[in-house]
Amino acid sequence: MSIYIISAAAIACCILTIIFCRRYVMKAFNAIDMVLDRILSKDTSLFSDTTGENRISKLTHKARRIMDRNVSEVAQTKEEKETIQGFISDMSHQMKTPLSGISMYADLLLEGNLSVEEQNEFLSRVKSSTDKLQWMMDSLIKMSRLEVGAIQLTPVSENIRHTISDAIGSVVAAASMKNINISVADFEDTPLYHDKRWTREAIANVLENAVKYSVPDSEIEVSVELLPLYTKIVITDHGIGVDKSDWNMIFKRFYRGQSVKDNEGAGLGLYLAVLIMEKQGGYIMVDSIPGDFTSFSLFLQNCKK
Amino acid sequence: MAILMTHGLKKYYGKEPNLVRALDGVDVKIETGEFVAVVGMSGSGKSTLLHMLGGLDKPTDGKVIIDGHELAEMTDEQLTIFRRRNVGFVFQSYNLVPILSVYENIVLPIELDGNTVDQSFVDEIIDMLGLSEKKNNLPGMLSGGQQQRAAIARALAAKPSVLLADEPTGNLDSKTSQDVLGVLKMTSTQFHQTMMMITHNEHIAQLADRVIHIEDGKIKGKAGMK
Repeated sequence: MSIYIISAAAIACCILTIIFCRRYVMKAFNAIDMVLDRILSKDTSLFSDTTGENRISKLTHKARRIMDRNVSEVAQTKEEKETIQGFISDMSHQMKTPLSGISMYADLLLEGNLSVEEQNEFLSRVKSSTDKLQWMMDSLIKMSRLEVGAIQLTPVSENIRHTISDAIGSVVAAASMKNINISVADFEDTPLYHDKRWTREAIANVLENAVKYSVPDSEIEVSVELLPLYTKIVITDHGIGVDKSDWNMIFKRFYRGQSVKDNEGAGLGLYLAVLIMEKQGGYIMVDSIPGDFTSFSLFLQNCKK
Repeated sequence: MAILMTHGLKKYYGKEPNLVRALDGVDVKIETGEFVAVVGMSGSGKSTLLHMLGGLDKPTDGKVIIDGHELAEMTDEQLTIFRRRNVGFVFQSYNLVPILSVYENIVLPIELDGNTVDQSFVDEIIDMLGLSEKKNNLPGMLSGGQQQRAAIARALAAKPSVLLADEPTGNLDSKTSQDVLGVLKMTSTQFHQTMMMITHNEHIAQLADRVIHIEDGKIKGKAGMK
C-alpha cells in the first residue's frame, strides 16, 4: 500500500518538476525573445533595465551594446564619407590659388608686349604653381587612400637605419641649399616593425619641415632611442619653433601654425606623417621652444619577441 | 554620437565663507571613439571632473550622462554595476591587486560581472601591450611601466563605453611615460575606444584628438563642446 503512495508521490513530484522546468524555460525563452525584438526594432528607449544583477538584465545590457556597436559602425561609415567629401572640398579650395595664378600669368603671356625677362619670370611662376598643384594632388590622393584603408601598409620587421638614411637622402639637396647640415647620432641598428616605403616618407616629411623652417647655416640632428615598447626617432631643428598652443593642432589636416603663414606649404606633411605612423601602431610627438629648437619624435613599435 | 555629457556640473565642498568650488558649471561633450585630454593645474578641478564622470562621487548640481543614462537617477547599487560594465579606470598609482597575477587582474572586472572572458580579445590586448611574457607574474615583479600597462589592459578588457585615465604617467619616468602614452593612443585608435585622460602635463596632452583646458573649476573657451 505504501509503495503506491510513494510511487504516486514520486510521479507527482516528477510531473511538478517537469511543469516548473517548462515554465522556467518558457519564461527565459520569452525574455530572450523580447530582447531580440528590441534589437530588431532598433529602439534604444526600450532598454531600461541594464543595471540589475539577474540574467535578463545582463542580456539586455549586452543587447544594448550590440545595438550601440551597430549604430557606431554606421556612424563611422558616415564619418568616412564626410571625410572624403571634406577632402574634395579642401582640395578644390587649396587649388584655387595656384590655378588662378596660372590663369593670370597665361593671360598676361597671351596678351604679349612683354620683355624676355618678364616672359621667363611669368613662365617660371606658372611652372612653380603647376609643381605645387602636382605635389598637392599626390599628397591628397595618398592621404585619402590611407584614411579610408584603400592602401594597406605592410609593416615588417626590418632594420631602421636604411629607412632613416633613405629619408635623409631625399632632403639633403634642399638642406644644402640653405647650408644646413643633417647629422645622425650613433645608434645600434635595430629591426623595427615598419613599412619601409611609407615610414621613409613620414620621416622625410618631418625632415622637409625641419629644413623649411630652419635658419640657414644651422644643424638638424637625428637620433634614435630604444624604449621598452617603442623606438623613438628624434629630429631636432633650430628654426622658428612651435608655440605650445599649436602642439595639438599642427598635426591636423591643412593646419598651418600662426608663425608660418608667410612660408610655402599646404599643411599636409605632418598630417600625412601622423597617419602613416598611426597605421603602424606608432605616433608622433613634438616639443619646442620658439626661437630655440623644435624636436619631432617619431615612435615605432619594437618587434615583439 | 555623444557618449559622455555633462550639463552645468557643479561640485562644492564646505560652506560659506569657506566654500570650495571644485567644479563651477562645467559643460562637456565627448563623442564615441574620441581621445580627449583635460589639462589643468593642481586644484583646477580636473580630478573632481573625472570622479563625477566615473560616477565615483555625486555632484552638488548639474547632470552627468553616460551612454544615455543619467547617473544621478541611479541607486548606489545600480551605479556600481553600471560603472563595472561601462567605465574603465586607469589611475596614477596603477591599483592592481597584489595577490593576483597580471592575467587574473586583467580579467577580474569581467569575472566579477559573471561574464565569460573573451579569450582572444584579452590575448590580443596582452600581446599589444607587451605583457605576454609577464602575464602569470604578480604585480610586485613588474616595473612601474609594466604595471601601468597591466592596469590599462584591465580597463580595456571589459570593453567599456569610456576609459577614464587620471594622470596615467604621473608615477612614471619619462621613458616609460612615452611607452604608456603610445599604448593609450594606439589602443584608442585601434579599438575605437573613447578615452578621457586628465593631466597637468601639456606635453602629453598633444596626443589627444581634442584638448580641454580647465581652470578654477571652469572650462576655458568652447573646447568642452565639440
